[in-house]
Amino acid sequence: MIRKEAVAIIAGNIGKNPIVSANGFMSRDLFEANDKESNFYMIGSMGLASSIGLGIALKNPKKHIFIFDGDGNILMNLGSLVTIGSLKPKNLIHIVFDNNSHESTGGQPTNSSKINLEKIAKEAQYKIFKIESKTKLISVLKKIKKYQGPIFLLIKISTSKERSKRVSWEPKEIRDRVMKSLQ
Amino acid sequence: MNEINQRKVFDYISNKKIENFVGVPDSTLKHFIDQGLKNKKIIITTREEEAIGVATGMTLSNSPSLVFMQNAGFANSISTITSLVQLYEIPIIFLIGWRGYLSDDAPEHLKIGKIQPELLKIIELKSKIITDKNWKSGCDWALKQIKEEKSCALIIRRMFHD
Repeated sequence: MIRKEAVAIIAGNIGKNPIVSANGFMSRDLFEANDKESNFYMIGSMGLASSIGLGIALKNPKKHIFIFDGDGNILMNLGSLVTIGSLKPKNLIHIVFDNNSHESTGGQPTNSSKINLEKIAKEAQYKIFKIESKTKLISVLKKIKKYQGPIFLLIKISTSKERSKRVSWEPKEIRDRVMKSLQ
Repeated sequence: MNEINQRKVFDYISNKKIENFVGVPDSTLKHFIDQGLKNKKIIITTREEEAIGVATGMTLSNSPSLVFMQNAGFANSISTITSLVQLYEIPIIFLIGWRGYLSDDAPEHLKIGKIQPELLKIIELKSKIITDKNWKSGCDWALKQIKEEKSCALIIRRMFHD
């Protein structure tokens, strides 16, 4: 499974719930697969998707908030797992698309293959799921709403040469669309 | 700034509909933070950039936010301020404790403390120093800035040694 396939499956299954997507190819894949008002496409501030998602989750308890993170991104902000785990937002679903690489900068390796990210999340009091196939992804998506968050999905993906186009919304338009969707 | 006024600053801003106070503690700001903790309105994060991320999410949720930090943390956050707060025009108030304002502060604060005013200028983040005398007008100025969708900073100088 490549990232864009996983992104399309999840985004297509969660209706209008907000997504905060990490910078680089992650946001581009989401934009191309399923553009909608409540998507916050992060284009700078590497590492902070999980923190922005936490802020939205705390203020919108009736919505499920999805964070589309990468392994490189979460490794830059592991502290956010501690903050999320200590505040325990029930409505937060943190998804890490793990290809063991900084694909957006040329495919350099990350160290995610040498440690167990899901175990770190578990120690931070997330409910965890590790996913390696589309079938498993679809079955997990069906049942996660029954669980209380924070929930952590580690999805193992393969690297790909396929490139999605850049997000065409201006940053201020992204802001305004998200704010409107959260009113 | 003395203890009574720091507590007043928290109460004043909090009463003006700033709903979230997120940051990393700083001894210069300790009474402000303590007043927030008493009111159960403080979220402490692991790093300053993380605090800015959380406050951004809250502000996107139409809930106004303040981020507090020491100036060392402000220096850490410059890329986040430029590529998130300023790029998306997220109106956030930064409250920054200024170590290294006194030229005989602890050595680790001297270099970054000396360039603090320049750093603010270079990234074009508008700021005001607040004191025991002028804090109310400084707070009103900051509240006006975010109403106009601009981020800004309030600075409290470290005027004592411990």
